[in-house]
This record gives sequence, C-alpha cells and structure tokens, in this order.
Amino acid sequence: MKHTMKNSISRRALLAAATIAAALPTSFALAQNEPVEIHVMANEAFSNVIQSSEVVEFNKHYPNIKVTVDGVPYVELLAKMMLDATSPTPVYDVLIVDDPWTPQLAEVGALQDLKSAEMAGFTAADFDWADFNAAPLAASEWKGVQYGVPLRSNMLMMFYNRTLYQKAGVPEPTPALTWAEYLEQAPKLVQDTNGDGKVDAWAIDTYFVREPLTPTIWQTIMNSNGGKLIDADGKPAFNNEIGVAALETHKKLLDFAPPGALAHGFTESLQAFRQGTVAAMFQWGSVYRSSAVDPKTTTLTPEQVGIQVLPAGSVGPGAHRGIWSGAVSAKSEKKEAAWTFLQWLSSKQGETWRTNNLGTFPARKSTLAAKPESEWLAPVFTSLQLAYDVAAKGEMWRIRNPRSDAAQQILADEVGRAMAGRATAAEALQTAAEKIEKVLN
Amino acid sequence: MVDERLTRASASHSRFARKFADLLSRWAFMVPAAVLLLAVLAYPIFYTIEISFSRFDLATFSAVEWVGWENYAHVLDDYRFWESMKVTVVYLVFALPLQIVLGFGIAFLINAEWRGRNVVRALFIIPMVVAPVVAGGLWRMILDPLWGMVNYVLGLVGLGPLDWFGDPTLAMAALIIIDTWRWTPFVILTATAALLALPRDVFEAAEIDGANWWSKLWSITLPLLVPIIAATFVVRWLGAVKMFDIALAATYGGPGGATNVINLFIYEEAFRSLRFAESAAMAVIILVVTMVLTALFLRGSRLLEERY
Repeated sequence: MKHTMKNSISRRALLAAATIAAALPTSFALAQNEPVEIHVMANEAFSNVIQSSEVVEFNKHYPNIKVTVDGVPYVELLAKMMLDATSPTPVYDVLIVDDPWTPQLAEVGALQDLKSAEMAGFTAADFDWADFNAAPLAASEWKGVQYGVPLRSNMLMMFYNRTLYQKAGVPEPTPALTWAEYLEQAPKLVQDTNGDGKVDAWAIDTYFVREPLTPTIWQTIMNSNGGKLIDADGKPAFNNEIGVAALETHKKLLDFAPPGALAHGFTESLQAFRQGTVAAMFQWGSVYRSSAVDPKTTTLTPEQVGIQVLPAGSVGPGAHRGIWSGAVSAKSEKKEAAWTFLQWLSSKQGETWRTNNLGTFPARKSTLAAKPESEWLAPVFTSLQLAYDVAAKGEMWRIRNPRSDAAQQILADEVGRAMAGRATAAEALQTAAEKIEKVLN
Repeated sequence: MVDERLTRASASHSRFARKFADLLSRWAFMVPAAVLLLAVLAYPIFYTIEISFSRFDLATFSAVEWVGWENYAHVLDDYRFWESMKVTVVYLVFALPLQIVLGFGIAFLINAEWRGRNVVRALFIIPMVVAPVVAGGLWRMILDPLWGMVNYVLGLVGLGPLDWFGDPTLAMAALIIIDTWRWTPFVILTATAALLALPRDVFEAAEIDGANWWSKLWSITLPLLVPIIAATFVVRWLGAVKMFDIALAATYGGPGGATNVINLFIYEEAFRSLRFAESAAMAVIILVVTMVLTALFLRGSRLLEERY
C-alpha cells in the first residue's frame, strides 16, 4: 500500500511538473540555453553541406541546439520519412522534403502546421512570411496549410555555354527564344570545334533517361505551350495535341545531344556541360556554382556560362519548380528547437549567409533584390526571379496529390518508352493518362 | 523368469528414457535456431503475404483492410509487370548459361599447375566483393559511348561506336556483361574446388588406357562434375532471379523499360510509388514462381546425380 502511495505521489509530482513546464513561456528552454538535440532527415546529396556548414553557422547563434543531420539516398527518402514520421516515437524532428511530397506527408499527419497557434508562439516576430516568393513557398503548402519553409530553392533552367554559341555563330539565348527557334539553331550547335573532322560538341544535354525527373522537361515544354498536367478536377489533362507535341519536342532534342544521351540524367548531362561538350543544358539552377564557379568541379567560368528560363512556347517561357522545404515532424517533442533551426535557415539573415557562402538559391524576394556578395550571383538572381514568376503563373510543378510519386513514376515509365522509341508519343501519353487516372482516384 | 522379465522391462524403460533424453537434447539445441529462423525468415514472408491481400495504410504504415485478390488483379492487369517478367526471362536465359559455361571453362583452363595460379584465383574474387552500385557506375564509364574504353577499343578495329545504354538490345547485353563480370568468379571458384576434388586415380587409369585430353574431359571430368554444375546453377539461379541493383545503377531499367527486371520494378513500385500492397503481391507471385522453378531444378539436379 505504502509502495502504491509512493508511486501515486510520484506520478502526481510528474504530472504537476509537466503542467508547470507547459505553462512556462514557450521559449523558456531555449532562452535559458538548455541544451537540446534535434535530428534532421535530409537527402544525402546535400546533408553533408547542412551538417558541416549550415549547422556550424547556426550554432554561432544558437549554441544550445545540437543538430544531427542524417542523409538518406533520394530513392529511399520519402519511404523512410513516412516510416519514421508515422511511428509512435519518431526519431526525426525536422524533415527536409522534396517539392511533390508535402501532400503525401501531410495526409498521413506527419507534418506540423507552421502557422498554427502552437507554432506561432515559437515564431520570431520578425520572421517575414510575405517576403517569400509565391512559387517556392507554395511547394510546402497543402489544402491551405503551411507545412514548411523553402530551404533549397531550385528551378529547372537553361544553362548555355557562350563559347560554343560564339563558335557556332549562333546568337546567345534570351528569355524571348522560342522552342521553334531553338530547334532551328540546334543543328548549328552540333559542331567540330577543333577541326579534326569529328563532331566534338553538341547542342543539348538534359534528362532523357527513364527516371522520375525526366518528365519535368516534357512538362515544362507542355506548360510553356499552355498545356496542363492535371485539370481542376484532378484528372490527367496532358493527353492531347499539346502534350504529344511537347513529348515529340523533348524526343527531338536527342537528335542534337551527345551519343548515348538516351541514358543521360542529372549526373551525365551535368558532366557533359562542365566539360564544355554541350552548348546548352536544361538542368536545376542550383548547380550553377559547381558548373561555372568552382574550379574543382568545372572547366568553365561564370563569364562563359549563361543561365535563363527555358525557351518559350505559345504562352511564354518555361521553368519547373523543385523546392526542398524544411518541415517539423508533427510528433516531435522538440518542435521549438526544430522550428528555431528552420526559421534561422530560411530567415533573411540565414538565407543571405547561405546564398553568399554556399551558393544556395534564395526564395526570398528581399534576398533576390539585394546586391549579392559574389558578382556571378547577380545575373543568376535575375533569371531565378523570372523563373519563379513564370512557374507561379503557369503552375509549372509536379502533380500535387498524396499519390503524386506513383503518378510521377508512371510518367517516367511512359516518357521513357517514348524516348526509347518503344511507343509513340501519343501511345505513351494515352497509357500514362489511363494509369494516372486510376492511381489518383 | 520373473526377474528376467523385470530386467527386460527395466532395460526397455531405460532405452526409452535414453531415447527421450537424446531427443530432448537434440531439440534443445535446435529450438533456438528454429525460433530464430521463424522470426527472420518466416515472419517477413507471412507479413508480405498479409500485405499483398490488404490495403496498405501509409498513415500507420501497416496493412489495415482485407481486400482479397484485388492487389493481384491490379498487378496482373499492369502491362509493366508482364514486360518486366519478359525482361527478366531474357536476362536469365542468357546470363545464367553464360556464367556457368564461362565459369567452368575458365576453371578448367586455370586448373593446370603453374606459378601464380593462387594469385590469379584470389584476383577473381575482386568483382564479387565490389558493391553492385559501384560495379554499375564503373561499367557505365567503361561502356560510355563517348568516353568509354570499350568503344575506344572497338573503334581501333573499325567497329562502333555502340550506344550501350541507349539501344534496348545493347542495354540488355550490357546488363548481362556486368552481371557475368560480377558472378562468373563465383562459378570459377566453385568449379575449381570441384575440379581439385576429382579422384586422381580415375584420370591415371584413363591415361594408362591411352585416353587423350578431349576423352578425359568428355568422358570423365564432365560426368563427374554434373552434380556440381547443377548445384551451382541452382545457387546462381537463386541469386540471379533477385538481381536488381546492377540494373538500378547501370541502366535505371532503361531505355524505355528494356532492362527493367522484375525486382527493379517491384522496388520502384514500393519505394518510389509507395504502392506497398501491389509490390507485396508481385513479390509473392515471384516467390511462388521461383519456388516452383527451384523445385524443378532441384529435381532435375537429383536426376542428373543419379544418372552420373
């Protein structure tokens, strides 16, 4: 009996302590510099940069928050996030999610509403939500709820090698360049630059391989011609003349790409561009630094590399959104520390530091409007701002649906079949539309 | 008389007790292993079967509702499943015999006594220990149409350039080449051990009878090796049928699904599309097909053993 009483008192004491703790000012623990440890799950492609640079800088301001970043290969990242976030005791407090994943994670209750009353108490007074560009911020929004903040803002852009354009006597691209003009110029950009009688430079390299990001090229061409991926009822809207023509244009690019380009994706096209063997590349903008600035990774210089939106279709130029957003796990017991970390990374101060020191693309209008520390960033900022505007206007992003990954994989399969000539563009899109309709409903 | 009966009864009881104790001690040793096997082998299989007949809820990451054969119907209705099955059959039909013939052939050729034989045998292990992703990446470079060594060499004799990963037939050939590069050493090592274990006296007797190199190979070595060849085939079959990592690293299943082997398709459906129930249904189908074919191969292997 005595023993039971002791336990009972102990439980009451704990309950009282918990109540008092809950009643304290929410920032108490952090304000008092209580050490807190948070865990972050991120794509292994950039988890090291976050751990070795961004966390180090963050800790200069918040030394009491210890941040451990775990990198996971991209193909397993979403499944692992789902598994962790839905477990009763998740390990990760911060999830860095890819552009199309917010609906899926939000639907299973994995993400915390960052504008909720609970989180408002943890939000700094000067954290300016309105300063974010609409397109990157919308990546982590689902059904009117804001689940994340843009951390690595990326847009599909057109990179071009000025030297190869000059050698071919082709004028440098501008945002007014159309797909028709580009395809007319492309044969001239396949050239023998050293006069040995062999072609050693090609017009283009980009995603052609069978993988989920390849359809983004086709989609961008389609979007710039007024086509849509999904209609207002959430049904496939791409199986029409515009979609077919866009896929044929994407396939046509292979005629002006290096041998073996059908197997090229992110790495291969990047490698070809950095080695100066292709005049243009449709690629994620964030690779600009490693493609034009860092001599350890590229043979090119910022003077040689131009960047702009993708060529224009009937309604305007193209771009495609690819934003990595930081979100707080809904079941995290360290939401304040997690949100503090994300706020700093996405704040004006944090974003400016990351842009100037790491070349990370900013999402804030104020950062884009400010004069960057590095000269090479100025034209990049101009192009990026245009890309954000273009993407927001044309809704140039992947399917927003809890089953978007399944739909994207179907698109990858069918676009891949069309690229390899195993199906016509019309057949591939017909199959994709039927399958996606089943998956999404 | 009574004493004799008592003695007999006592002896019988004692024999029974000894047998029981023996049985008990055997099981006492076996139970931990059996429980462990059940936990690590049987449970995942039964859980996969359960998922394959259920709706998989991502919110709880578990099977939540019995849907009968619905997932199986979806899978069997998906042309991509059948395409992947065809791709897998093509890959197995070419890769397995090639690896067995090459493995045993090379083992036979290096079986002679010569200096440095052991070093060469040790070197053969290297491809096996290279991670599949590394092997895939390495071969992507070697077979690159523009910068790859293979096309350079082919160019010297006026062939090519070949688009190894852009042409569906060549992509399948590339996949078979990479897999053969990785796994032929395993066959070589097994075959070498088998060759060393062959009885010398039979060969000596054949030599005395005037048998030449070919007669010894055809009439003695091969018949004696048949059980080993059959067993190696079954082991390699079980390894090859679940291959997907090399395809993932080297060809991404392309071009246009030309190298999308069934396990890569299952992996993509599960981890990229998050369609765990359909993936589980596919995994169960493959499990059943593999078990049936393995049983047939084992039966064939036993028949060959009896024959030779």
